[in-house]
Amino acid sequence: MSLEIQNLHVRIEEREILRGLNLSVSKGETHALMGPNGSGKSTLANTIMGNPAYEVTDGKIVFNGEDLTEADPDERARAGLFMAFQYPATIPGVSVANFLRMAVNAKREEPIKVKEFGKLLGENMELLRIDRQFTSRYLNEGFSGGEKKRAEILQLAMLKPEIAVLDETDSGLDIDALRIVSDGVNALSGPDMGSLIITHYTRILEYVKPDFVHIMLDGRIVREGGPELADELEEKGYDFIREEVAAADAG
Amino acid sequence: MPDSPSPSVDWLGERRKAALDAYEAEPVPTWRRSGFWTTSLRNLDLDALETRRYAPVGSADELPAAVRDALDDEPGALIVQRGASTILLEVDPELTAQGVIVMPLEQAVAEHGELVREWYMRRLSEGDGKFPAATAAFWTGGVFIHVPRDVRVERPIQSVYAIDEAGTAQYAHTLAIVGENAECAIREYCLGGDFDGQALHAGAFELYARPGARAKLAHFQDWGRGEVHDISTKRVEIARDAFVSWVPVHLGGRLTKQTLDIVTAEQGSDMRHTGLYFTERDEHLDLFTTDLHEAGHTTGDTVWKGALTGESRASYEGLIEIVAGAQETHTYLQTHQMLLSQRAKGDAIPSLIVKTDNVSASHGGTVGELDEDQIFYMMTRGISRIEAVRTLVEGYFEEVVQRLDDPGLETLIRRRIGEKLLAAEDQVKEFVGHRAGAAQEA
Repeated sequence: MSLEIQNLHVRIEEREILRGLNLSVSKGETHALMGPNGSGKSTLANTIMGNPAYEVTDGKIVFNGEDLTEADPDERARAGLFMAFQYPATIPGVSVANFLRMAVNAKREEPIKVKEFGKLLGENMELLRIDRQFTSRYLNEGFSGGEKKRAEILQLAMLKPEIAVLDETDSGLDIDALRIVSDGVNALSGPDMGSLIITHYTRILEYVKPDFVHIMLDGRIVREGGPELADELEEKGYDFIREEVAAADAG
Repeated sequence: MPDSPSPSVDWLGERRKAALDAYEAEPVPTWRRSGFWTTSLRNLDLDALETRRYAPVGSADELPAAVRDALDDEPGALIVQRGASTILLEVDPELTAQGVIVMPLEQAVAEHGELVREWYMRRLSEGDGKFPAATAAFWTGGVFIHVPRDVRVERPIQSVYAIDEAGTAQYAHTLAIVGENAECAIREYCLGGDFDGQALHAGAFELYARPGARAKLAHFQDWGRGEVHDISTKRVEIARDAFVSWVPVHLGGRLTKQTLDIVTAEQGSDMRHTGLYFTERDEHLDLFTTDLHEAGHTTGDTVWKGALTGESRASYEGLIEIVAGAQETHTYLQTHQMLLSQRAKGDAIPSLIVKTDNVSASHGGTVGELDEDQIFYMMTRGISRIEAVRTLVEGYFEEVVQRLDDPGLETLIRRRIGEKLLAAEDQVKEFVGHRAGAAQEA
């Protein structure tokens, strides 16, 4: 059970952002993907989910042996992929509870029973320490940065994907919110879920321990390793990695 | 055009005569705005239309299905006009005991002549144009509502104008007076069937909310698939410290040209104006609303939202006018329009005339399409593109629907919008899909 990204090339508006990216994430694993601004992290997340604004010019996205490179986003979601957005869209007029029910039902043959849904929602809200009245608000409308991120993780908890991509979920969070979100991700992680945590900073990795760390520069993964790689990055910074890679290329 | 009915009362006969003169003097108008928006009646064969009389029905159960479905189950009063005839009148005896009058305007002229005369066309004029003149000259049946002072009516008072046959010309006049400190809810429906051919509804509506009154007023227009041309003027006047929440809803009509004016006429009067429209196929909708503040210390809050599918055309122009001396007026107007088809065309224009100082007045307007980011976001949750679109449009309207504060009407509107979206599913899919494809090519 895994997500395989093979030699992925992606363009937006004539500009090549991903230039031959390879990555594999299996259930039960936690991966951190780190990179400076503009390295293509969000492009990767969007492409994994099939955002039509991004054009795949080469390579493949394979999930559980099935080629999803051309699949629509909803198909990917139903197959078990999920993305927590850095900047989630506002959905006016649709309450958090109604949205969640719609999303939960999209993956099911029979609609979820009201009672069962209520119980599931209650448990997950408790896990993320979300206030009851939160669910009657329109999704993301007037939400603070922290509320938006919590709403994303609440969706993750409700939808229970096989592989979750968290696109800069840590950005813009204060330390309390970061801790709550991290606790949530940790509670949901386990043998049934793999995750790809995309981040600019090492901060979230103090709370969510990755099994693997990948460093991305200019649309490619340039270094891979265990948790110690994040520590090295924290110490030396992206510029050091960039010089190292340039030197290796030159050599 | 029909003969003018014989005047039953002199003063009314004189008004009808003046209206007939105005009608005959005026050519059939073409409405033009800004040089590019035109509402024309050149395709309407006026001479082929006639007023039609119908026999009364015994109860609401015998009403056409299109009418029955839209009505609240337990109204306080129900009056139904089909074509030129009042075919049903049901008033809860409790209301009658409270002194509430609901009856055809024709009957009210005979039975409550002085009261009708005092208010009749106080804010309407046969000089407003060809069709206001036609309505004033030719109306039959009609609706008269009077809620006496200090009376509170819980259940809605409902009036219906129905057209269910091609070739019908309907001239409608509703006069409503909500007395001092009285409270009530009034819903007026314009309903049609799915007949083949043309029809005309020329309507006049006037409501006077007396000092301290509180009224909820809804207009629900759904003429169906028949080619109904609706040319109407509706005016609401709000007296001192009174409040009216007015909800005009337009869900269908071949051609609609309406002037909707709400007037805060005296100090302390307050209005909430919430409009909604959904056009489809080849419908043409042309609305001009005015929030007129005639006195100081008045407040207004207007929101209009519309959506367009098919090859429909919809123009909404909303004006806030604050007259000289109406200081300490606080009002705003917002209008939004959403295009759901490549071939639909729309316009949403807010404007402002302020002739005094020390007021706050703001307005805003948008014409847009569905946001591809929102659709993508929803799809990443497993929701199909078409369901995402449907949900977004329903959500877009939901903000307005929730302002109605009328659960029965809210349910009806939600249902009708859902049906319209379902009917337009293929073209909306094509439109949104086309844009997604274009984004990829960009």
